[in-house]
Amino acid sequence: MSILDKLNAVKATIPHYWPIGSFIHHNPLKGFEDLHFKDGLNKAQCIFGGKVYMDSSYYMSLYEEGKIDSFIFEKNIKEVLFEKDSNIPLEFAKKFLMEVSPKWASLRIEFLSKKEKIDDELYTHLEKSSTICDEKAWLNQLIEHMTLYEINDALFSSDDKDGIEKKIIEFISRFLDEDQTTLNMPNRELGMFEAFKLYENFSYEKSSEKFVEESLKQLCVKDIEAYLLTHLLKLHGWAGFIKYRSEDPEYASQEEYPSSLVDYIAIRLYFELKSVKKSKISSFEIFQEYSTQNLSNVILQLLKHKNILFGSALDALEAKEKTNKVLSDHIIHELTLDALQIQHSNDVLQSKIPLIELASILKKLREEEGYIWLKSLEDTYIKNYVEKLTNDESEDEEVVSATATFCLDVRSEVIRKFVERSGSYRTYGAGGFLGIPIAFVEFDKAHEQFLAPAIIKPQNVVFELPDESHEEYSSKKGMNKVTKKVLSDLKNNPYTPYIMVEAIGWIFGINLFGKTFLAQKTNKLLSKLKPHKPKTSYTLDKLSAKEIEFYIKKLHIKIIHSVLEENSKQAYSMYEIEELREHLVFNNDLSIEVSDLIIEKLKSIHHITIEDYEYQKKKLQMVGFTLDDKVSYLYKYLTMIGQVDNFPDFAMIIGHGSVSDNNPFESALDCGACGGNISLPNTRVLCMFANSKEVREEIKKKGIEIPQNTKFIPGFHTTTTDEIKFYDTGTLNDEELEKLSKIQNDFDEASELSRQERSQSLPFTNTKKDMILKSMDWSETRPEWGLAGNMGVFAGPRKFTKHLDLKNRFFMHSYDYKLDNDESEILTRIFDGPLIVGEWINLEHYFSTVDNHIYGAGSKVYHNVVSKVGVFSGNYSDLKIGLPMQSVYLEGKAYHEPVRLLTFIEAPLTKVLKAVENSIAKAFILNEWIRPIVIDREDKKVYSYENGEFIIIKEIK
Amino acid sequence: MISDIVLFILAAGVPYYIFLEKGTKFHGKYIFLLSAFLLLSAIVLSLFVENEHRTSLVWISFFSALFSIYKATKTTNFYKLGYYLIFVNAPFFILFEDAGAMYSLSLLVSLIGLYLIAKFYDKNYGSANYHNITGTTLVRPYIGTFLTFYLIALALYPPFPNSLFFLSHIFKSEPNLVWYIVVTTLFFGNFFLAMRVMRETLFGRPNPNIHYVHMNSKDKAIHFFIIMLLFILSGFGFKEMLL
Repeated sequence: MSILDKLNAVKATIPHYWPIGSFIHHNPLKGFEDLHFKDGLNKAQCIFGGKVYMDSSYYMSLYEEGKIDSFIFEKNIKEVLFEKDSNIPLEFAKKFLMEVSPKWASLRIEFLSKKEKIDDELYTHLEKSSTICDEKAWLNQLIEHMTLYEINDALFSSDDKDGIEKKIIEFISRFLDEDQTTLNMPNRELGMFEAFKLYENFSYEKSSEKFVEESLKQLCVKDIEAYLLTHLLKLHGWAGFIKYRSEDPEYASQEEYPSSLVDYIAIRLYFELKSVKKSKISSFEIFQEYSTQNLSNVILQLLKHKNILFGSALDALEAKEKTNKVLSDHIIHELTLDALQIQHSNDVLQSKIPLIELASILKKLREEEGYIWLKSLEDTYIKNYVEKLTNDESEDEEVVSATATFCLDVRSEVIRKFVERSGSYRTYGAGGFLGIPIAFVEFDKAHEQFLAPAIIKPQNVVFELPDESHEEYSSKKGMNKVTKKVLSDLKNNPYTPYIMVEAIGWIFGINLFGKTFLAQKTNKLLSKLKPHKPKTSYTLDKLSAKEIEFYIKKLHIKIIHSVLEENSKQAYSMYEIEELREHLVFNNDLSIEVSDLIIEKLKSIHHITIEDYEYQKKKLQMVGFTLDDKVSYLYKYLTMIGQVDNFPDFAMIIGHGSVSDNNPFESALDCGACGGNISLPNTRVLCMFANSKEVREEIKKKGIEIPQNTKFIPGFHTTTTDEIKFYDTGTLNDEELEKLSKIQNDFDEASELSRQERSQSLPFTNTKKDMILKSMDWSETRPEWGLAGNMGVFAGPRKFTKHLDLKNRFFMHSYDYKLDNDESEILTRIFDGPLIVGEWINLEHYFSTVDNHIYGAGSKVYHNVVSKVGVFSGNYSDLKIGLPMQSVYLEGKAYHEPVRLLTFIEAPLTKVLKAVENSIAKAFILNEWIRPIVIDREDKKVYSYENGEFIIIKEIK
Repeated sequence: MISDIVLFILAAGVPYYIFLEKGTKFHGKYIFLLSAFLLLSAIVLSLFVENEHRTSLVWISFFSALFSIYKATKTTNFYKLGYYLIFVNAPFFILFEDAGAMYSLSLLVSLIGLYLIAKFYDKNYGSANYHNITGTTLVRPYIGTFLTFYLIALALYPPFPNSLFFLSHIFKSEPNLVWYIVVTTLFFGNFFLAMRVMRETLFGRPNPNIHYVHMNSKDKAIHFFIIMLLFILSGFGFKEMLL
């Protein structure tokens, strides 16, 4: 196996990291999804360390609140005991989980100051079963996932690690920079490793892969795969981002400045070799020898380094006592405390089980308790919601004034409830991208935004074009650009900052004090200075071959013209320029004289080549949609949500996004199904399709008749303030506008009620003004709760959930299985898009809550944006991969309740099985990374997927 | 002359802990208590005898202070740190003459606070060693706050009395070369020693291998009393500075 193969074999362990500009919620343990949830978590815990379940005291408090059903809890204990083939009495196990486990750590030290008699047999048993008595095995356990420079640090109390990690971060953050710095690193186009060689000024002729191979040989690494993983784990946020870039060849920055994981490993090993060369232990071979000679000291120093050496042993080391004695005292101390912990547990449990047997039982229960508690919490929710969903349902109104489709996002639940209550409205839920993946190029912007789940690569490009004159916009934009440029030049000039602070520094004070003390007024003032986008429309039709040819030619000629003008004294006619283009692109003969230098420049710098021509052609072919595409997307959308008849006068399709200030995580609050962007463009595109006459005619042939008077209106829901605004209303007549105005009033009322309800869960928020202020406050770490609290999915008709208060905790996708075919195509699409996004969001929240240090982003207060790709803590750290503490915790307590996604599906079991079989989400569904619950009203049964099969959990009367 | 030497020994001008540390009988806790008692005796005695000391004594205590700084950087035990700090600050007692007593009293009060924290660690974690007890402020804010007060006082940060008496002396004295060397070195010595402890135990990530214990109300009240005492001394310090 080559180094690359070995690296590929371990890189799945590292989660992808998407740039923060379009924050993608993801499962940090995606690489473990081929294992059962429980096994995956156990394996991940061995690799990453940290926690994978909440503490038992957390679950205990939920139990006391009644959120965990006692009967279900007992059932789950029994199941685990049965699985483990254990004859532990249920009551005993329950008592342990509820009374002993929450204070397990304190039982170990509670009576530390008292002298207690230790049971000899128990002590001997613990001694035999513990790794710490086999010093060599213990040593291997201690150095697992440690690099050689860390081992040196531990053994000789040096601090090389900090220096090395700092240097690595300095280099990669500058190399991966996406225009945050004013002074870019030179030579980045050569690739990461080549640029690094110039950066460090070391000459090495061969590739990064070869360098890695040679370095590992020098270090005498035996298990290469494990060592590569060790290095990846050191800064797994940065490694995850490099992995993401290197696996997406179309990522603009990657195209320009290529990087790869093997380059990254080479850089790490370069610093490691440099560090260990001057250390006493420069290879694992030497370490082997050294540790054999000084085994006890090595173990003690490693324990000290890992902060697990007892204080008394630390004191003894300080006093320079003999290491053999210190280590044996440490072992005695450790085993004594272990024995005491079991004896104290027995005091609480009052059991008559022999202590040795008790020790084994407690070990088993400790291994299983996290999963038992988690499953019990989930099962309790499942039981309660199944009751609610099957016992009652609302009447579906046949005729309504309007329908409104919201994103399935959990934040839509409350607003949907109040919209329905504000008048005769029916609401639907669908993935925010509405099944139309688009690459959207916003007006006045040059780059594409992929408005689709991260796993889907859009094949249609949509340009936003102005519909009206936009002189004011252009002039304000121009003015702002010039102001920014002047300020930036003044700031970056070596001399001007000396006078700039005194001269114009006070201007920045307006922003500083205004945003701090008068946020609303300052925001209003500043918004007047900002250019307001004119009314726009989208390019929805395909370009003809002739048009594509025309645009590419126009672009090429413009470039050639300007290059010739700049570099040649000779004037060229249009005919000659065209000839030159034909020569560059199609290699035709050139009759005019043009210097080789200009030709080379046009080819290499401006890319006027056949390859670029083909690329441009391919890109332009992606612009717009064919009629078939439009009909197909609209048809799929309507059948997916079950809106195929009884169309009212207005069918609103409402996208969403969030507004906040000074918040690098803002896109995490936008639409997850649109790749962390706002979903308004998708709704506008779909409404434009649906309002098109020819599309309606075609879709009628497929059996869906949309009445002429039905208008599809796109809207936008600002989740921070719950305001809803409608777009593209210019084509409506006066009568329609009047009706729309009534609808707008009702929706405004719904917004107000929704704000009132949501403000109760946000700290220091009582009024509408408070909520609006949160969206403008630059010191606000929690502008809204976002998706925190999410716990379930409901895929089915709205009538089954309309009467329920789901407290913004459910992703709600409308689905009518009667419209689905035997292959369950619609349900498969829901699984392949929205469900995957839901699972990523859910598990991102789960892991950021259970261990924010490892899987989350820590406190927002210390964050700094780095390279415009993410945040790190302070002035250098690993790239933070998950959610910040403030997104999932409130005043030190978990606000988000970590449970797997409880996926309720209203459909016959056969249809669900078919969809699971066909879906790309099959692995995580069957490995129980979500909890599927099937409500089969045809068979009158409710099923839950557990231990590899769907089991009946309720018979519907 | 005799009173000079007596004061000098009492105020820990020579690191007698070197001999005491060698014997296993003398636990760090007792060395601290003995040193603190002797310093207190020196403070009391200094009220009754003339407080003018020879430069040679200042130099000796300065070198012993440097040695104590070195020793203090090698320990992570609060008891040891406590008595090392007494020796580190001994030159001030000698150098500050009349103001030295109040400075040393403030030092002693801060160190009593530190000693009680050490005792708490000893009782609950089996040793007064703080190496493993990281991130205290996050998980046990009360202990974190008390410890922060004591360490800030020891780092010679205002408005704590140590810094005020120290500043008061700086404002009023007539500096010479010895003065400059001693004051500058020991000011930074105190500062870095206290900051080093803060970095290692107050901040950072809590250690998942440790079960952090809460402080009971009685202990909290005692610490609260010590901090009040420090603030009362600060009042005297302010008065001293302004007069």
